[in-house]
Amino acid sequence: MKRNARYLALLGVLVLVIAACGDGADDGTTTTAEAEGTTTTAEAEAEETATTAEAEATTTTEAPPSVEAITACQVTDTGGIDDKSFNQTAWKGVTDAIDAGLATADSDFLESQSATDYQPNIQAFLDKGCDLIITVGFLLGADTETMANANPDQHFQIIDFAYEPGVADSVQGAVFGTTDAAFLAGYLAAGVTETGIVATYGGIQIPCAVTCFMDGFVYGVRYYNEVNGTDVQTLGWNPEDETGVFTGDFEDLAKGRAVTQSFVDEGADVILPVAGPVGEGSAALALELGDVWVIGVDADWFETLPQYEAQILSSVLKGLDVAVFTAIREVAEGTFEGGTRLYAIAEDGVGLGAINDDVPQPLQDEVAALLESLKEGSIVPGDQALS
Amino acid sequence: MSDEGTEAKENKEPKEPRWVERVAPKNVDWSSLAVIPFLAVFSALVVGAVFIIFTEGLGSVLPAYGALLRGAFGGWNSISETLLVATPLIFAGLAVALGFQAGLFNIGAEGQMTIGGLTAVIVGISFEGLPAVIHLPLALAAGFVGGALWGFIPGVLRAKTGAHEVITTIMLNFIAFRILDYILKQPFTQAEGRFDPISKDVLESARLPRILTWLPVEGVEMLRLNLGFILALAVAWIVYWILFKSTIGFEFRAVGANPDAAKYGGMAVTSAIILVMVLAGGLAGLGGSNETLGVLGRAFPGFTAQIGFDAIALALLGRSHPGGVVLSAILFGALRVGGRAMQVETDVGIDLIIIIQALIIVFVAAPELVRAIYRIKGGEEARQLTRGWST
Amino acid sequence: MRNVTKRFPGVVANDSVDLTIESGEILGLLGENGAGKTTLMNILYGLYSADEGEILVDGAVTKFDDPGDAIAAGIGMVHQHFMLVPVFDVTENVVLGVEPTVGPVGTIDMTEARREVQEISTQYRLEIDPSATVEDLPVGIQQRIEIIKVLFRDAEIIVFDEPTAVLTPQEVEDFFGIINGLKESGKGIIFITHKLGEILEIADRIAVLRRGKVVGEVVPAEATEEQLAEMMVGRPVDLVVEKEDADPGEVVLSVTDLLVRDDRQHTAVDRVSFEVRSGEIVGVAGVQGNGQTELVEALTGLTVPLSGMIHLGGENVTLVSPRFMHRNSVAHVPEDRQRSGLILDFDVAENLVLNSYYDEPYSHGIRMDWDYAHQHADQLIDQYDIRTPSSTVKVSSLSGGNQQKLIVAREFSRDTKLIIASQPTRGIDVGSIEYVHARIVAERDAGAAVLIVSSELDEILALSDRILVMYRGRIVAEVTGGEATATELGLYMAGLST
Repeated sequence: MKRNARYLALLGVLVLVIAACGDGADDGTTTTAEAEGTTTTAEAEAEETATTAEAEATTTTEAPPSVEAITACQVTDTGGIDDKSFNQTAWKGVTDAIDAGLATADSDFLESQSATDYQPNIQAFLDKGCDLIITVGFLLGADTETMANANPDQHFQIIDFAYEPGVADSVQGAVFGTTDAAFLAGYLAAGVTETGIVATYGGIQIPCAVTCFMDGFVYGVRYYNEVNGTDVQTLGWNPEDETGVFTGDFEDLAKGRAVTQSFVDEGADVILPVAGPVGEGSAALALELGDVWVIGVDADWFETLPQYEAQILSSVLKGLDVAVFTAIREVAEGTFEGGTRLYAIAEDGVGLGAINDDVPQPLQDEVAALLESLKEGSIVPGDQALS
Repeated sequence: MSDEGTEAKENKEPKEPRWVERVAPKNVDWSSLAVIPFLAVFSALVVGAVFIIFTEGLGSVLPAYGALLRGAFGGWNSISETLLVATPLIFAGLAVALGFQAGLFNIGAEGQMTIGGLTAVIVGISFEGLPAVIHLPLALAAGFVGGALWGFIPGVLRAKTGAHEVITTIMLNFIAFRILDYILKQPFTQAEGRFDPISKDVLESARLPRILTWLPVEGVEMLRLNLGFILALAVAWIVYWILFKSTIGFEFRAVGANPDAAKYGGMAVTSAIILVMVLAGGLAGLGGSNETLGVLGRAFPGFTAQIGFDAIALALLGRSHPGGVVLSAILFGALRVGGRAMQVETDVGIDLIIIIQALIIVFVAAPELVRAIYRIKGGEEARQLTRGWST
Repeated sequence: MRNVTKRFPGVVANDSVDLTIESGEILGLLGENGAGKTTLMNILYGLYSADEGEILVDGAVTKFDDPGDAIAAGIGMVHQHFMLVPVFDVTENVVLGVEPTVGPVGTIDMTEARREVQEISTQYRLEIDPSATVEDLPVGIQQRIEIIKVLFRDAEIIVFDEPTAVLTPQEVEDFFGIINGLKESGKGIIFITHKLGEILEIADRIAVLRRGKVVGEVVPAEATEEQLAEMMVGRPVDLVVEKEDADPGEVVLSVTDLLVRDDRQHTAVDRVSFEVRSGEIVGVAGVQGNGQTELVEALTGLTVPLSGMIHLGGENVTLVSPRFMHRNSVAHVPEDRQRSGLILDFDVAENLVLNSYYDEPYSHGIRMDWDYAHQHADQLIDQYDIRTPSSTVKVSSLSGGNQQKLIVAREFSRDTKLIIASQPTRGIDVGSIEYVHARIVAERDAGAAVLIVSSELDEILALSDRILVMYRGRIVAEVTGGEATATELGLYMAGLST
């Protein structure tokens, strides 16, 4: 059923592409990437809000012009390249690298239609001779391990997966300190709620990749309660016994909408969906209801989903693009290494995105101060008392 | 009537043995049976080429389709992948085609695959130490039974209450997905250390063994084609035999073509409907087992990957004939695997493949359109595959 | 129509046909099934286009691309199967597609429509209530609605395709009155039929079609039924069924107080009792829809009666399956061969084993023996003169007469103790009727008990040794075959005499 709708949508997209290409706007990336207008806008704005990691990267490339651009190839999970969060943000890292001259225009992605595609997609890129193969997501862990061990000389990066030492040492597993970033979002949510109830839900209960967001959010709310003597409740996740609300996939927007509706029915007025594109269902409902905030994840939703900006409180940024960009730079420079790499809040690997202008300045200042405390390590999420 | 007449007939016999007439009957409407699907595929590729011309320019058509062909069949790995993708499509396509033959529109192949794949996994992760010769058939049988159960429910509802199978199978799909989520979160099935619904790995003794590992070529360990493909071909043959060579199949087809006449002929229409749905469900269940016991080695939400829905298109393209289903499944597999190479080697995106598949279905579903384009004369009116909602 | 030729693959359906129709005239178009009558009329009505030749209306060459053009040129058609929406009322059905409208948004002006329908009804003495719901009306009245539809569209030439097939003898009389009225008001009428008596009665001129050609035009006063039949078939035809007097033996079928309800739970067969003996033909007369269908279904095991008993040769078979009846030498020629007697998509051999496939020698266990089935089919094709290129041809490509012969072959080629034949000659040509009738008599003479259900009075009268008349689910009369007249039976059938 969903597939049928997708055929139509894709026909439509292709028609748009025909129109777009009429004036010769062909920059060498694949057709689908072109069709995603958001990619290019996001890119442009990314230049302005460049994190320190990126700025650093850019300077490095400019210094030694001898660095040769590499071919970076990304295999998505079943969410697709245009998922408005996970895969799309990672792909932004590749396009940023192309713009910076670190990656060639030959860089490409393959979307996985099903779990059986992971391995052949990786194989296709091995055959193509990619310098770096980026596999996006926890779900590709097993297949990436198999393929990496069969091809020990190939550079692999996997997002959101940390192998035990000795399992797949040639793979660089990028993990993120999302607990810290979501901590800020939780504090902010507790600060703006009028009902005293906030909520979060996930797509699939994947340890850390999904649940760390939810942990941090809950801890942030608790910290707010501790500091301000309030009693804001969080629905949808209990970090202690690791139970909560999950929609079951990263694809079905209708489920996000339904879950959000039930949270709203229970009185919640701030929602953090940790479910990739499913979260857009929450944003759509929030826009209809009007007095419900949503917090974006992975990318800055003010940029990727501007149509909902009135109800976007802020976004928990996960520097997937930074991680991908960094890996490409390292391969180009010859400094790439396997092993687990943590992108923490201290080096802006994660963070909080723009905050809605309607949020009072004092609260915004408190959040900014909290960010500094987290970077220093003077506050550690999870240390807060249960409330 | 007269002796001369009979002799004259017998004299003709040697020239044209009866089996020739059975295999390729003269009166068969070849234009709708084989020509239309072939032209539908051809037309879809032509329209796809137009897309390529508009997006990438004229020069990209041949390289793109060349890459498509090479990616699908150029080399052992390509062939292995093509047939691997085709395998579950064959099972699910047979499940839908069998329903079509009996006038039933089985949209539930996805759910039947889900349950079948799940029951196969449950057996596949249990019984440690069982030899493969027992464990694997047991797991496959469990998959068949699971799917059959999921076909039995809409079959009974249709036969006994008249509830339309389109509605009930769609609803049962959703129920199947949720059951999968639930079962996979139980401690017995859930993979250790995981909190998301994903099963333990199927034991080696219940895995479908790979069948191309004996080839004397390099990278033989990457050839993932497994025994499931052979099984699928065998099952397709069995379905063919049942449909066209057995009394049961005669009943199925009679019930599908004209239930009133079937009843007149002394057939038990209600039990035929139930049996068709049970068998169809079982076939889809085998398709699900093929995935979980084969290439995936475990079950998780969405492992069916819409194959049950692609199967509907496939059964239409294959004209609900087991042979047609096998060919269509291999075509779909080739498009999917070749499309990957096409995207990697050229600038033409793999989404084109989805467009081509959709176009094939449009052309197959509108045979008059194809006839008009290629000016094929005659042909009977489009055969009604299912009965209307009112019956 | 001048020099009209229409070819279908392998067949010339119409071969240089010339046909004229003048206003105020009734042209009878006579021909066997497959003679090309329907094709010719479909060309006239714009459904097909002719390969050669032309159509002239009032002397001007006209081209019809679709029925809309034909209607605009004043040609109307009353089909054999009515094209009415049952839940709409008369006026709604009449104006469907050409609704008179008022106002800027085009609201349907039902008052005006009703007035016009009433006017037409009065003018032609059709006696129709414009507000009656169609499904409540008898078939004869529904046919009149079709006529009003045509008149509402200002038709000057009206084609009737087998209009009397669905009518009782009394309704046929009324119908003839109506078309005579139409004729008097200057309409040109084309009357398609295969019933010889009717055409002689009503037509001013008769054109006979055979194998796509007009083989003759005659004036009724100068023709006899035998002549017409010979022109149609191309050889002398025996119109009277030759049969000896019956010699009834022991009771084969005995029905006691049978009560059957139809799908909508209305009582269709109301406590009916009768017997059929071996060596006799019992005819059940009646207008269609008076319980005959349900009676036959109950007798053959297709429906379960609510109460009563059916005995076959002394054995209680009230609740048995169709398969049991078949295995016990009961042959059943079903009422609607295309709906329940045949599977049109299947080939000749498959249809010939439709109700015996489960037994040796057609199958062994669950394995069908198609080789044997085809040999068997070839034999029956020869024996019963079924005109088909081979046993692997789909029956949908056979003519109605040959389809019926196929059923007769399937049912009569076995041992037959009891034959239940429903509308055994409906819609088939004269030659085939002759054949089927002769077969039925032959089976009787061989000792079978025969029950014929037919709405064709001529058929009942020609075949039956005893006649039962059904009206509203009851048997209202029993008459001895030789003594009955059509008028007498017609009164019983209409419920006017008991």
